[in-house]
Amino acid sequence: MDSLQYSIDQAQTRRQFLGRTTTGIGALSLASLLDPQLFAASTTSGQAAGGVLKQLHFQPRATRVIFLFQSGGPSQFELLHRRPKLNEMTGQPMPESLTQGQRLAQIRGQKLIVCGSPYKFRRHGESGAEISELLPHTAKISDDICIIRTVVTEAINHDPAITFMQTGGQQPGRPTMGAWMSYGLGAESEDLPAYVVLVSVTTPGQPLSVRYWGNGFLPSQHQGVRFRGSGEPVLFVSNPPGIDRPTRRLLLDAMGDLNRLKNETIGDPEIATRIDAYEKAFRMQVSVPELVDISGETQATLDLYGPDVHKPGTQAANCLLARRLAERGVRFIQLYHADWDHHLGLPGAMPAMCQANDRAAAALITDLKARGMLDDTIVIWAGEFGRTPMLQGELDVKKYGRDHHMKCYSIWVAGGGFKAGATIGEADEFGYDVVKDPVHVHDLHATMLHLLGIDHERLTYRFQGRDFRLTDVHGNALPLLVA
Amino acid sequence: MTDWAAARVAAIVCLCVAAPTYGEVRQTIDFARDIRPILSNHCFRCHGPDAGKRQAGLRFDLRENALAELDSGKRAIVPGAPDEGELIRRVYSDDESEQMPPPELKKPLNDEQRSLLKQWIADGAQYSDHWSFRPLTRPELPHVEDTADWSNNEIDLFVLERLRSAGLQPMPAADRRTLLRRVTLDLTGLPPTPEEVTAFLSDRRSDAYERVVDRLLASPRFGERMAMLWLDLARYADTDGYEKDSHRQMWPYRDWVIEAFNENMPFDQFTIEQLAGDLLPNATSNQLVASAFNRNGPTTSESGVDPAEFAAKYAIDRVNTTGTIWLGITVGCAECHDHKYDPITAKDYYRLFAFFNQVPEEPLYEGADSPPSIPVPSAAQESRLTELALQKATLTSELEAIGTQSGGEEAAAAELRNRLDSLASQEKELLATVPKVRVMRDVPQRRPTNILMRGDYRNPGEEVAPGVPESLGKLPDNEPATRLTLARWLISGQNPLTPRVTTSRLWQVCFGYGLVRTMADFGSQGEWPTHPELLEWLASRFVESGWDVKGMLRLIVTSSTYRQDSRIIPELQQRDPENRLLARGPRHRMPAEMIRDNALFMSGLLHEQLGGPSVHPYHPPGLWEEQAWADSPWKTWKQGHGQDLYRRGLYTFWKRSVLYPQFALFDAADRTVCAVSRPITNTPLQAFVTLNETTYVEAARVFAQRLMQEAPVDEPKKIEWGFELALSRPPSPAEQDRMRTLLRQMRANYQNQPTDAEQLLSVGERPRPDELDPVELAAWTCVTHVILNLDETMTKE
Repeated sequence: MDSLQYSIDQAQTRRQFLGRTTTGIGALSLASLLDPQLFAASTTSGQAAGGVLKQLHFQPRATRVIFLFQSGGPSQFELLHRRPKLNEMTGQPMPESLTQGQRLAQIRGQKLIVCGSPYKFRRHGESGAEISELLPHTAKISDDICIIRTVVTEAINHDPAITFMQTGGQQPGRPTMGAWMSYGLGAESEDLPAYVVLVSVTTPGQPLSVRYWGNGFLPSQHQGVRFRGSGEPVLFVSNPPGIDRPTRRLLLDAMGDLNRLKNETIGDPEIATRIDAYEKAFRMQVSVPELVDISGETQATLDLYGPDVHKPGTQAANCLLARRLAERGVRFIQLYHADWDHHLGLPGAMPAMCQANDRAAAALITDLKARGMLDDTIVIWAGEFGRTPMLQGELDVKKYGRDHHMKCYSIWVAGGGFKAGATIGEADEFGYDVVKDPVHVHDLHATMLHLLGIDHERLTYRFQGRDFRLTDVHGNALPLLVA
Repeated sequence: MTDWAAARVAAIVCLCVAAPTYGEVRQTIDFARDIRPILSNHCFRCHGPDAGKRQAGLRFDLRENALAELDSGKRAIVPGAPDEGELIRRVYSDDESEQMPPPELKKPLNDEQRSLLKQWIADGAQYSDHWSFRPLTRPELPHVEDTADWSNNEIDLFVLERLRSAGLQPMPAADRRTLLRRVTLDLTGLPPTPEEVTAFLSDRRSDAYERVVDRLLASPRFGERMAMLWLDLARYADTDGYEKDSHRQMWPYRDWVIEAFNENMPFDQFTIEQLAGDLLPNATSNQLVASAFNRNGPTTSESGVDPAEFAAKYAIDRVNTTGTIWLGITVGCAECHDHKYDPITAKDYYRLFAFFNQVPEEPLYEGADSPPSIPVPSAAQESRLTELALQKATLTSELEAIGTQSGGEEAAAAELRNRLDSLASQEKELLATVPKVRVMRDVPQRRPTNILMRGDYRNPGEEVAPGVPESLGKLPDNEPATRLTLARWLISGQNPLTPRVTTSRLWQVCFGYGLVRTMADFGSQGEWPTHPELLEWLASRFVESGWDVKGMLRLIVTSSTYRQDSRIIPELQQRDPENRLLARGPRHRMPAEMIRDNALFMSGLLHEQLGGPSVHPYHPPGLWEEQAWADSPWKTWKQGHGQDLYRRGLYTFWKRSVLYPQFALFDAADRTVCAVSRPITNTPLQAFVTLNETTYVEAARVFAQRLMQEAPVDEPKKIEWGFELALSRPPSPAEQDRMRTLLRQMRANYQNQPTDAEQLLSVGERPRPDELDPVELAAWTCVTHVILNLDETMTKE
């Protein structure tokens, strides 16, 4: 294993943008378990440190992640998983052998009826991936992505399922993926956080909790920083009216001088950290507006994302921002696009949802690829679960719906060492259960970490007496998914 | 010291995860302190209390089993003969197939740990109970020479003894200004006023400090300060937490907590009323409100949810919260399997669970008043309701009187009926505004409880009766196994954990850390107390005092240990960066609510009013909407005005899914689960809050108005008063100079840009006095804004 160990650019001290914890207790005691040398280094120098992993466990394929979260649970049967059997049997009872004793959400206690999909699938690209007509742009990048049709999760309701996808546990309280990455790898950027969150505001759907980008029990500098599409891009980033930038500079100089005077008598390293934090805030007042200012993008790039790119808070605008954040060294970029919860009226709602999403997501892949960034950027397009092959609501091609389904659903991943142009997994002909190559959410996490150079069993944090990790006590990095 | 002893000391010093030493000499190995953490961390996973995962029938947590002959005929441990046992052979083995711990576990032992194990077996492999499970006994006070110049009470003897054995001296006392500010912040959450500083400086009585402490403990602000901490533990919030995050009305519980601390309710009673107030004979409305503690957990009304699943989740939340607060151990680990490190089995877990799954609640109920709940009118509401009832009664009897008269007077009767209707609708309207607090009840007929296999509510196992974990004792035979009996057992003296955990927590109030630094884990995976004997002594004293909370805090803050200067000396910082030896006073950034409260207080904006519904101060517009459900009736933060903008932080509306961001950025807990301590971070996003957020810009402006209007005319005196208000001290000459330079710069700045001055002064709703010159006020606002943002202003030192 040692031969595989890869040193994170040691010469360059990557400092934790969001400062550091001063309680010491959790962070330090745990860090010391991971790496005894770190204990001394981070407590005595008073310097902000990078991630706790001084050495990666494997040669990394990727250095950052963009997660396009599709909240509400998009239906795989209308998008990425063609099941002709469903169309054949539409209106007939679902075989009880499949559903007996299985968990259901809203259609619990109802008669279970097979429901086909009216949308046409075609094979695309050299890989011949089957993609539905609702995703024409995704179809164009079919050779760059890896469709996984056999994802398995453990929760059947939104909140626990989103929590599970984000943290590896259904109960609130654990750190999200981005928090783990910030904790493990630190920040690359001096002027931006390691973990940034962008939420589509144009589709108010399932409610989103701040917990979904929370730090859980990790120190709170690892929580996702939400960049907003409307109002201030980062909360409170703008100076109040009547304080311009030169005035702010003069005020910060005074604060800095007074803090330094104080520190002559008290000698607390925290004071230096605070002065530093204020200076970073001052820099961020430039870097944030610069980030969201897309006027320097070429027309060709803007065209790629489509006209919505000019409307802040759309998936298109957020996908472009995601690329800009990735360019600037942000480690984990979490997008949320909600309103996929089509219990009823699926055909009325889904095309518009796809339109808002499909072009933007495909543009992101194309754009990253054109810039040579797709090689070391992982992109994940996934919801918290999929939907049932069984009907919910009326058996009407214009009105039907589907309930939550956790035993087998579809997502796609791309870049950063994931296989390109592949379709993984086989389900039964109803798409109800996995037949071959299940990819559990824990496996997805383990594989993602593996591609980032991290052994998922060795990025741990001691909390309440136990060494916690993103994958709980499960998960395997799956070679099947890796190029 | 012989070479051998030197090696031993070095070995123990290097270990130091569980029980650090700082150059102190430890001559003997203590199983619980030195060996159990190694076994627990590296071996218990397969050879520990969890019967389900146990390998080879071998367990190391019990001596009898560890020494017994194994199926193979070998023995893991042969006391006195380390080389004859399998344990030592395997941990030193180079053969990966038999190496322990197995390489795939990725928890290898280091050389020091191996040699400690070897030495321990050579010494006879003696076992001792984990310290926190041992019965509580009051230790003798240590004998320490020459303490008169430093020690003030018993605490100091323990601290001094340890400092001396490490070759260190304590710091002298902090100066009186610093000390007064420290203790005032710790006990009330607000700084002293300049008048209080002056009074203390001129009070030359020998007990001047103790008098201050008594004054602070008697202040109603004390209850607010203590409630801030307790509400994190009690996971109190104003919303349900899960998907829809609907609003609830639990604030009377918050007010009950404040009141209980202010009245110095003994901690045993405080425990009983919260865990089982509803089961007390003739329970009062207050005691029912106290029982809301167990209804504070998150709840859902998401459609498609299985009610049985969430009923189980709610009970789990109650067990885990109770375990964390009163036992300080991670009972939650036993939800799915026997605890891997501590003697808590899954059966023990579900025996506790059986106390908490008896609530006649509808798990998916939509509405703040999720039954069982009770209306809790305020005093004003109560008297108005009484008044309405009386009026109704009067009118009703008048109506009856008319009705019985022959012929009747139709017009008069109709008039009376109208008035009655109007009263009834007034009553109804009023009742709608009365908060309905969710409280505890038990179903009349006890529900059976089964172990949930692997924590799965659909997979019931063996049926269990309510009870406490076997390793911790048992409930009295002659009492029914109810929550009330459980609560009484917790504070009965049969259970040594509650006094230890609670005392450590009270220490945390003053020092920022508990005497056990892992406040959530007093079990074998947690850290040892930094001062074990001191904790034992304080915990015993706490119980003997009748669980006197104020008394314990008084003892702590009047110690010389607490009163030490918090200056950081580089040599000491290197040796003990986390101040575990207590060789200096505490210095920490304040928690979220306190930073805001302080800014409001200094400016004179703070509106002090005890209790009441939660308030909605300044908030970023649109933030809730962006994360809410489209149809949510709760999607807008309806900002308050007037006094509601200036209440203490603990009254701010606590929404779990979108916690008040000004607090979230300063590490406030979202209170989805019980939080025993908050991290203290230092980030640029925090700088944005205190630099740019309306509350702070307005507070700076009103603070400046105060300096211009109330302080003496001359400039240095105004600056001095600003420092006194914020820091309880005058500025040094260098600070004074720097502030005057700033003032000149800002005057010039705003003289050149008078519209900027106007803009700056327009922030916040508090009106600005017309008579003040805008340029001058803007310049002073910058001065006070700098003061509000100083490290020292946000720090207790």
